[in-house]
Amino acid sequence: MDRLLRNKAAIVVFMAPAFILFTLVLFIPICQSVYYSFCDYKAITQPVFIGLDNYKAMLSDKTLGFAIKNSLFFLVFSCVSQLIVGLLYAGLLTNINKGRNLFKNIIYLPCVLSSAALGLLWMFIFSPKLGINQIIEKFGGEGPLWLMDTTGTIILPMWVIAFVSLWQYVGQSMMLYMAQISGISKSLMEASYIDGCTKPMTFRYITLPLIRPMVATAMSLNAIGSLKFFDLIFNMTEGGPNHRTEVLATHLYQQGFKYFKYGYASAIGVLLLVMCLLVTLFINKVVKTEQYEM
Amino acid sequence: MKRRILATVLSAATIAATMTGCGGSSSPAAPAPAAGGDSGAASSSGVQEIQWMFWDDLNATSDLISLGYKDTIERFNKDYEGKYHVTAVTTNLEEYYSKLNALVAAGETPDVFIVSPGPNLTDYVEPGIIAPLDDYLAKDGWKDTFTSDAVFSQQTYDGKIYAVPLNTAAACCFYNTEMFEKAGAKVPTNWDEMIDTCDKLQAAGYTPVTISAGTAWCLSMVAGYLCEAEGVDLAKLADGSASWEDGKLEAAANKLVQFSQYFQRTAAGDTNDVATANFYNEEAAILIQGSWAIGQINGENPAFEDKCGVFQFPGVSRVIAKSDSLAMSATTKYPEASAAFIKYFTDDTAQKYTAEVGGKIPVTKVQYDAEKAPAQLAYVMDVFSGASGTFGFYNESMPTTETGAHFDDTMVAVFLGDMTPAQAATDMEEYYKANCRK
Amino acid sequence: MDNTITAGGPANGSGSSSSKVIEEKKKKLTPVQIIIYIFLIAVAVIYLAPLFWVFNVSFKTNREIFTAPFALPKDFTFENYTFAWTAGKLGISTLNSFIVCVITLILSMFIGSMAAFGIGRMRWKLSKLCMTYFLTGMMIPVHCVLIPLFTRFAKVGLSNNLLGLILPYLTFALPITIFIMTGFFESMPNELIECACMEGANIFDIFFRICLPLGKTGLFVTGLMTFVGNWNELLLAMVFISDDTKKTLPVSLSKFVGPYNTNYSQMFAAIIIAIIPTIIVYCAFSNQIVDGLTAGAVKG
Repeated sequence: MDRLLRNKAAIVVFMAPAFILFTLVLFIPICQSVYYSFCDYKAITQPVFIGLDNYKAMLSDKTLGFAIKNSLFFLVFSCVSQLIVGLLYAGLLTNINKGRNLFKNIIYLPCVLSSAALGLLWMFIFSPKLGINQIIEKFGGEGPLWLMDTTGTIILPMWVIAFVSLWQYVGQSMMLYMAQISGISKSLMEASYIDGCTKPMTFRYITLPLIRPMVATAMSLNAIGSLKFFDLIFNMTEGGPNHRTEVLATHLYQQGFKYFKYGYASAIGVLLLVMCLLVTLFINKVVKTEQYEM
Repeated sequence: MKRRILATVLSAATIAATMTGCGGSSSPAAPAPAAGGDSGAASSSGVQEIQWMFWDDLNATSDLISLGYKDTIERFNKDYEGKYHVTAVTTNLEEYYSKLNALVAAGETPDVFIVSPGPNLTDYVEPGIIAPLDDYLAKDGWKDTFTSDAVFSQQTYDGKIYAVPLNTAAACCFYNTEMFEKAGAKVPTNWDEMIDTCDKLQAAGYTPVTISAGTAWCLSMVAGYLCEAEGVDLAKLADGSASWEDGKLEAAANKLVQFSQYFQRTAAGDTNDVATANFYNEEAAILIQGSWAIGQINGENPAFEDKCGVFQFPGVSRVIAKSDSLAMSATTKYPEASAAFIKYFTDDTAQKYTAEVGGKIPVTKVQYDAEKAPAQLAYVMDVFSGASGTFGFYNESMPTTETGAHFDDTMVAVFLGDMTPAQAATDMEEYYKANCRK
Repeated sequence: MDNTITAGGPANGSGSSSSKVIEEKKKKLTPVQIIIYIFLIAVAVIYLAPLFWVFNVSFKTNREIFTAPFALPKDFTFENYTFAWTAGKLGISTLNSFIVCVITLILSMFIGSMAAFGIGRMRWKLSKLCMTYFLTGMMIPVHCVLIPLFTRFAKVGLSNNLLGLILPYLTFALPITIFIMTGFFESMPNELIECACMEGANIFDIFFRICLPLGKTGLFVTGLMTFVGNWNELLLAMVFISDDTKKTLPVSLSKFVGPYNTNYSQMFAAIIIAIIPTIIVYCAFSNQIVDGLTAGAVKG
């Protein structure tokens, strides 16, 4: 049997398709992308090596400033809000019996729907004369310009988009926490009740520590997801008004496919890649600790 | 052993790579001809086959100008049957340049393609992607059919003409005559009267102006007019002999801020189409827009044609004009066919159609039936002929596409209150210093 | 859209079959639980109301949307839908999406589990390294390879070609597939393979006849993730495809609805057309889908 499993030819046959695809479509392009980021490369010219100029240009790019700020805002917001709301939903749902699946499925529904479609849907709900503002009007008020207001440090449209992203993706976190909570053994819970813990106390001292590894998983999923954020913004504001809701992905798309600055766009891509790697490492270092026996 | 595996993997990779390559070349090149009917004519039969790239789907469009182009292609293919044949490659407007650039980069530049004058055109002139057309224009008095040599001003580089304009559109103020009457407002001839008119409209309960800051160039078009009124000279700014901080831009931006109190409430986020809809749905009295909007206005609300007047932006003597232009690839195999094809767009039939059906200003001296043309075209023509000259869109008259976009964004920032007019001037000067002057 | 509730219904709770159990639970309904229920119902409203709203207005005329925004539509017409379907070319793009997703799904399950088997079961020195190589792919955002892929594909005729979408979709689906399937193969008992070996099966028999059928659950989970992800993908499809007849659903929808349009009712109809297939499938298999996707995420 050992010989069978050490059969080199078979190994090559098994590995080759995935390996070749992965190398051609992912690995080589990544290397090219890094190279392009050091080049002056407009769509119709050949790439010319210019060293760090693209990275230097980033420093004076105001839109990139907005984009980084907004990406970081989404990162923090989605990590924190999904943790709190996801845990809240999970905690509540594990405490009811009837209708648990129903509520769970309703909350999870947006996760499987196209964020392009949902972005458009919410764009209309938050548009000046439709949706929410029609409700406000009914009660005699005048609704704000949800997606156009530009006052404040974090402008209103950013909060709106952040809310929609929470709405759409919190089901994922909720399910992760629920899966982990239901994995905690009953006897452990009962022991804590016997020791005189109330439900909230049990949650604080038993449940929370035990689901910590899952918090790390959910957080890194949220973090990477929020850095890759594109569809919702593209369909809700297209980065407007005046680039104030731009994120790294939309800025990259604009620079690359509207102004054809392939070199500069590649540099933004590299920045995005580095941020993704750093955030994953950070979360896994800080949040993930030793696994408990459950 | 390890080496053998590596060798196997590598050879497999090579095979796969070749296979992908083959797959690529055996399936016809990326841009499958999307329109133009029979494209089978092989060059072996002596027919010179050329490709024309355009930014609208000719088979699905309802745009009257595009439909006119479709007619032109059909006429050309019929008249030159057996000699030349053109096939249209179409995309939609948003993806046009990305697709065109991909073809250019792959060495498959279409023989003839449409392009906006300004930095977009410069992008193709400078690397020598397109050919000068002077020789062809000089033949058979082609050039003399045009209204004047001035129509080529935006297409001329170092004294050579690199593209042929097909029609002209001018940016004007469209207004709702009924609202003006009811409010007792008059057509303004200078800036103070403009403000006065807006005041009267506002007092009568109307929204004076509808504009789009969501589509930045719409707002920036107004800013361009205001800059023109202040005497901003873009050529001097580009070569560094003038400064953005000389107070002219600041004065123009101040006027923009003053003007913005008459905009509809949702101007910050409204897109071009929404802002135009506000006008033909009679929710606002004035729309500042290019004359290409005539087709859209009359198409969406035919009853509105009678109520729609046109006046020139007050306080300026020149008008903003823009033309669709055709350029010819420098590497085309059939320059004669390509030039003959371009010429078809400027013959009398095509130019008559441009005015009478399309509602755009023709570029040649053609006689057209003014009765047939939309009512607004006559007003636009009045404005056009009354003007002392034309100038391009500000964002298309700057050194690069991105500089133009930066100007648009800066003007929007001023409108939103993110920047003061003085800051905007400093910002533009810094941007020019860093990116435009060398 | 009532389906969402009714379809979720039968899957309800752990056991409401016998009335005794229900009575017991009713007794246990404490004030705290009542508050929880009220809260959850409010949450459910937030989740469903937008969908109901867009469904309702998609049957109205443009004027009605503004004059009577919350009333039921006066007369149900499917005009908006026919317009969105034809002018928005949503029919052909649904088909395109389907073709792309199904091919990607099959290929990714096949190629992915082959590699997973190679890593999880075969014995060779570099298997761990190879796994790490694949796993790095999970952290790489697709945006980073957008430009090199676009320029390369334009040169070899893969841009504006569904195959040009399938290749990157497939590649980006591989890491998670390999990761999950490796777990499944590793956990399979050794005896099975030994047995098969005794009977003279070769390695491919073992893979196709024994391990692959046993990894069904894993295949379901990964397949589901791949399909849902690709069905909704916008960026790559938007960059690579420009021909209207080759666009996928999210792209056609975005281009049709886009911000440059003012015919609201037709756009609402288009949104409904785009999400209704997913909603129907979800209603039918919600439990399997939710659990499957969660299982995938946990492992990832």
